[in-house]
Amino acid sequence: MRSRLLLILGQLINGLTQGSIYALIAIGFVIIFGTMNLVTFAHGEVYMIGAFMGYFALSVWHLPWYVALAMGMGVAWILGFFIEKIAFRPLRAAGHMPPLLITIGLSIILKDLAVVFFGAENRPVPSIYGETIKIAGFQLSLLQLLIIGIAGVLIIVLRILIQGTKIGRAMRATAQDHEAAYAMGVNINRVFSISFCLASCLGGAAGVMVGIYYNAVYPVMGDTAGLKGFAACIFGGLTSIPGAILGGMIIGIVENLTVQFIASGYRDIVAFIVLVIVLVIRPQGILGKTIRAV
Amino acid sequence: MDRKKIWVIFLAGLASLPWIGSGAWCADPIYIGVSGPLTGNYAEYGQNWKKAMDLGLGWINAAGGVNGRPIELIYSDSKSDPKESAAVAQKYVTDKRIVTTIGDFTSTACMAAQPIYDRAGLVQLSPTASHPNFAPGSIWSFGIIGTQAGEGPFMANYAVQMLGKKKIAVLYINNDWGIATKDYFVKRAKDMGAEILAIEAFFETDKDFTGVLTKLRGFQPELLYIPSMYNEMALVAKQREKLGWMDVLLMGPGSLYSPKLLEIGGPSVNGLYTSAVFFPKDPHPEVQKFVKGFEEKYKAAPNMFAAIAYDGINLLTDIIRKAGTDRKAIRDELAKTKNFPGVTGKITFTEQRDVVKDYRHLVIKNQEFILFEAK
Repeated sequence: MRSRLLLILGQLINGLTQGSIYALIAIGFVIIFGTMNLVTFAHGEVYMIGAFMGYFALSVWHLPWYVALAMGMGVAWILGFFIEKIAFRPLRAAGHMPPLLITIGLSIILKDLAVVFFGAENRPVPSIYGETIKIAGFQLSLLQLLIIGIAGVLIIVLRILIQGTKIGRAMRATAQDHEAAYAMGVNINRVFSISFCLASCLGGAAGVMVGIYYNAVYPVMGDTAGLKGFAACIFGGLTSIPGAILGGMIIGIVENLTVQFIASGYRDIVAFIVLVIVLVIRPQGILGKTIRAV
Repeated sequence: MDRKKIWVIFLAGLASLPWIGSGAWCADPIYIGVSGPLTGNYAEYGQNWKKAMDLGLGWINAAGGVNGRPIELIYSDSKSDPKESAAVAQKYVTDKRIVTTIGDFTSTACMAAQPIYDRAGLVQLSPTASHPNFAPGSIWSFGIIGTQAGEGPFMANYAVQMLGKKKIAVLYINNDWGIATKDYFVKRAKDMGAEILAIEAFFETDKDFTGVLTKLRGFQPELLYIPSMYNEMALVAKQREKLGWMDVLLMGPGSLYSPKLLEIGGPSVNGLYTSAVFFPKDPHPEVQKFVKGFEEKYKAAPNMFAAIAYDGINLLTDIIRKAGTDRKAIRDELAKTKNFPGVTGKITFTEQRDVVKDYRHLVIKNQEFILFEAK
């Protein structure tokens, strides 16, 4: 009985680790949708580019993981800056569709560029923190703790940024009503740009962490991750950051419990079935409201 | 009018150049089509084939080719994707220059292209397809690596009799090859008295094994048998380390015998058990000629995939020499092959156009493949 419980605990931790990563991606979608009212399909590729940066930092230049993380986030920030400039800024008045389509195009371009420059195979990322610690008969993986920890720290930093700084207030104002914010003197263009860069930066962080966790990066890694992150964002209510975190965690945990109790092949199916059921019952998502809450 | 005439004569002259040229040139080549993964998840295997075949052909053509005609390979990148391999097959059967083909890499890709080669009547010699249903599926399909019907029992014996592990869990890749590999292993292992505690599948693109490894750990197996390719095995080895699950043995079929496994897996693949049909330190002169030639040309040791492709191209060249360039004659002559001396052992086709191989026991120690010595 006890070993059964430990087994389930193990799967829960697997789920929390994966969930933290999905949460970071989902928060990115929430920030972009919350402030700009738009969706990007290139987020998965930003995540992938961040992951490759992390790969180069770790595998090729042999830098420590926190440097790799910072570099991944930096590259993603810069990439986000350019995506916002190309896809979103010129088309402010054009509504949802044109920017969306452009991001679909950018997604394909980035993926193919990655295949051309990096090759389509997996790039191996070295293992770090391979040790486990024993607590009451249960083996806890240090790496999993690290990942959950980093995600937690990033989320706390984000909250401080949004609640406690001037730019954070500007973002919240823009999210509530960007015309009113403009009327109050907020530089909307700058807010949009910074929001997009911030979201991309979190995506890049997620990418580096995935590379470290699974020891592999490859050009199409953004596909499933972007999809699941987006699903987590919707699950949580589209404009709620706590919702996105919850959504990510739930998807991660459901996936791993499915592997445990059903079979590995069903993990994605069950996660998405749960998503569909929740949305049918509660279309605004778990923590969604009509007024944006960031 | 005059100007027009000059143009006509000029163009006619240009057009006739190839014919004038070829008389003085060497005789025109005999073409063999290659369908294999040059990019994608299996790229390393395809690149190994290419190196080995280029090496072999270099020697063949330097010695005059076949009756003075050089053999030339036409490569098409199928990524070992069944959609692509079918398209490549379509291309090859309609190209009249191609007299026979080598490829594809995975059993799934081969079987997807099989009906096309079968209908059009063109030999498909796969160096690596080991699914038992491949070769019997068409009189034009040939396999030279042996099937899981042979390797499965060998590995089961390795695990149960030689290593003495009776509690086994299986984690297999969910494609035609993986399923067949799993089935043959499980059947023989059970017959030998082993307990198969759990069988789980994963998909080709899966990267996360922490969930399924945690689940398998719950059954407390002594050995994990993992039909997969080097990418996934390296990830499994690393991720099981992360979970602290070091007291289980890892074993996989000969698909793992590749330097890439060592490169990607690093120290985490130490202690892994596998098999080989080709071992570079084999003292047989044909093997050594190949190994030394390969090392000289590419500054790297050849692996099983290079060796089997080398055998493939040598076998086909030999057949063309005997049977000529008619596609059907090549097929008929190929089917009669008996005891062809390959670097991966003697090649004799069964009624089903499969071969039965001799395997060696391998284990990874200090990040090197070595022969396993039973104590």
